[in-house]
Amino acid sequence: MNATSNPFHFKVGLFAAGTLLLVGVFLVYLLHARGVFEPTYRLNLAATSADGVAPGVPLVFSGIEIGSVASLGLNDDGGIVIRIELLQRNAKWLRQTSSFTLDKPLVGGAKIRVDSPDLKAEPLPDGSTMLLVTSDVSKEIPALVERVKAILANVEHLTRQDGEINATLANVKTVTDRMTGDYGVLEGILGSPEKARAVTDSLEKTRALVAKLDSLALRMDGMAAKTDSWLFDPNGVAEHTRESLVQVRHMLDDAQSSLKKADALMANAVDISANVKDGTQDIAKLRAEIDDAVRKANALVNEINKKWPFARDPEVKLP
Amino acid sequence: MRFLEASIESLGAKITGWFAVGYGTFAFLGRALLLLLDRTTWNRATFDVVVKQVYFTAVQILHVFLGYALIISWLIVTIILSTAREFGLTEFAMEMTIRVLVLELLPFLTALFVALRSGSAINTEIALMRVNNELDALAHCKVPPMQFEFLPRLIGGVVSVVALASLAGLLALLLAYLSIYGLSMAGFEAFTRTVARIFDFRIVAGLAVKCALFGLAVTLIPVTAGLETPKKLFMVPVSVLRGMMRVFFAIVAIEVLSLALKYI
Amino acid sequence: MTALGDDVARVAPDLPLRANLSALDNIALIPLYQRHYDAADSARQALAMLDALGHATIAPLRDPDMTPAQRFVTQLARALMLRRPRLVIDRPGAMLYDVPYPDFIRRLAAQPAMSGTWDIYDFSWNQVLYPR
Repeated sequence: MNATSNPFHFKVGLFAAGTLLLVGVFLVYLLHARGVFEPTYRLNLAATSADGVAPGVPLVFSGIEIGSVASLGLNDDGGIVIRIELLQRNAKWLRQTSSFTLDKPLVGGAKIRVDSPDLKAEPLPDGSTMLLVTSDVSKEIPALVERVKAILANVEHLTRQDGEINATLANVKTVTDRMTGDYGVLEGILGSPEKARAVTDSLEKTRALVAKLDSLALRMDGMAAKTDSWLFDPNGVAEHTRESLVQVRHMLDDAQSSLKKADALMANAVDISANVKDGTQDIAKLRAEIDDAVRKANALVNEINKKWPFARDPEVKLP
Repeated sequence: MRFLEASIESLGAKITGWFAVGYGTFAFLGRALLLLLDRTTWNRATFDVVVKQVYFTAVQILHVFLGYALIISWLIVTIILSTAREFGLTEFAMEMTIRVLVLELLPFLTALFVALRSGSAINTEIALMRVNNELDALAHCKVPPMQFEFLPRLIGGVVSVVALASLAGLLALLLAYLSIYGLSMAGFEAFTRTVARIFDFRIVAGLAVKCALFGLAVTLIPVTAGLETPKKLFMVPVSVLRGMMRVFFAIVAIEVLSLALKYI
Repeated sequence: MTALGDDVARVAPDLPLRANLSALDNIALIPLYQRHYDAADSARQALAMLDALGHATIAPLRDPDMTPAQRFVTQLARALMLRRPRLVIDRPGAMLYDVPYPDFIRRLAAQPAMSGTWDIYDFSWNQVLYPR
């Protein structure tokens, strides 16, 4: 068992030395990579909420990680202080004009983004405190969905069987039905053929009177002119009819525009959450509801337009 | 009713058997560790046997092992990279590669490699020593076999698995770098950042402990299984079979435990 | 035979050599691990023992490469290395089947360095081989 005669020793020695050398080089490289040989630069960020921030969350400049959150804490005033550590060599990206944003994307972890619009500005001294702004897409989505839901609830409220729109449209329907009835517009305005007949009767009487007067006296023309002005005066009956119809039209317009608004929000939400599997299912359901409501409303608008031709394209466009 | 009784009894026998095996293994490990504390263990002779064990377990198969690690690493790196490109997640490819290959797959495969090659050999040899009365002869000479037969094998196993796994890991790192950035220093800074982010102290220490446990499992269990062999020649294959089954379970258990500790 | 105490060194068919160690290493195990000599010193003592038995040349051989006589010598050297007061050779015929063993053993015992009592246990029908 003489050491010099052992044939294994040389090879095992070579193996051990090689492995130790490589592992040693890697460990030194690792220590270098983790910045053990470099001074650490500290930065404090003041934030209103520490939601989503934890030790290890990266500080990112132009998509490249330059540091990470070391710890979180509260200051004496109850504000949140996020302590960030980065290597001295990366501190050059931080300037007095830099802004810090907390990004919480739907895919991937939260990160703090640094934007330094002017890299020639004064460098940020070690240990300084900056403000952290939150831009949180994931937080906006529920709010967005809430808004869409509220609008949908309104739409539903308007369009349900006993809802306002239905009632209004029902009213419109009766009005227009009456207008097409024996007594036309006047029946529509006055509510029943009897009343309309009363009016027409009186008109007839007036006319008859006029005719009589026409045939009887010279100042008959003045009377006739007065009757005309009663009918077609701005404060006259026909003007009222037009006003109320314009009101109905406004209401329909309102419904249509709120539907359009819902639709736009919807498209937005779908865009944002295009990558999220879970979200898509809920949103698809929501989307179906909206489609349904829009279709109902469109049908109503079309019906009105058939009966009362407004000179506008009534279609609600869907993305 | 009798069937039920019989199955309960056999279950009980199995559980008792497992406990006995577990106890025997750990008791043996305890004795080995106690011997490590003994100053007289640390002499030239033990060192020579350890060197011999390391030679047979690691150095002799180094070229085969590295070739095998190279192929596996290249395959996995290519798969991860192409998948990551497909899904537009290229920035996670390096981290994924390191986590999958260097931290999990390569140590596991190293342990399997050493278990299949050296573990089975150790199991057979100890079983034959026992069946051939060589252990009785050593006992008659009052030479405890622990110091020059068993302990060097345990140390050799641990050293070999740790060394082979580190070499394979370094090779995989190099290969991953070359696959992603090619022969240029362009990606070195990004690579350094990724490495720095993954390998914190806990991960490195955990990796080292895991490899050491792998090395211990692939030698300790075959040794104890060999020592349990009844003194009949036809029991040697049975002993190796049992020992290798236990080694496999132990390796999987260590891997699962390490994953659980890391990610849960 | 197993009832023999700790003061007896045995050479027996049921106490084989360690198969993957050379003759020298088999003998050197005893000074090395029992008396904690260093490796070189133990090897020297083992070689001296083999030399005293007139078989220094078999030192590098392993068990499967030895003739029964060489194996017996190695086992004997190992037993002598134990330095116990009594030496028992158990059934020499089972180990020394390639030489006229009573003479062989006698010649080994006649080596100048040998001392102490050697007891030989053999089957009764082999009694004729041992002239008294």
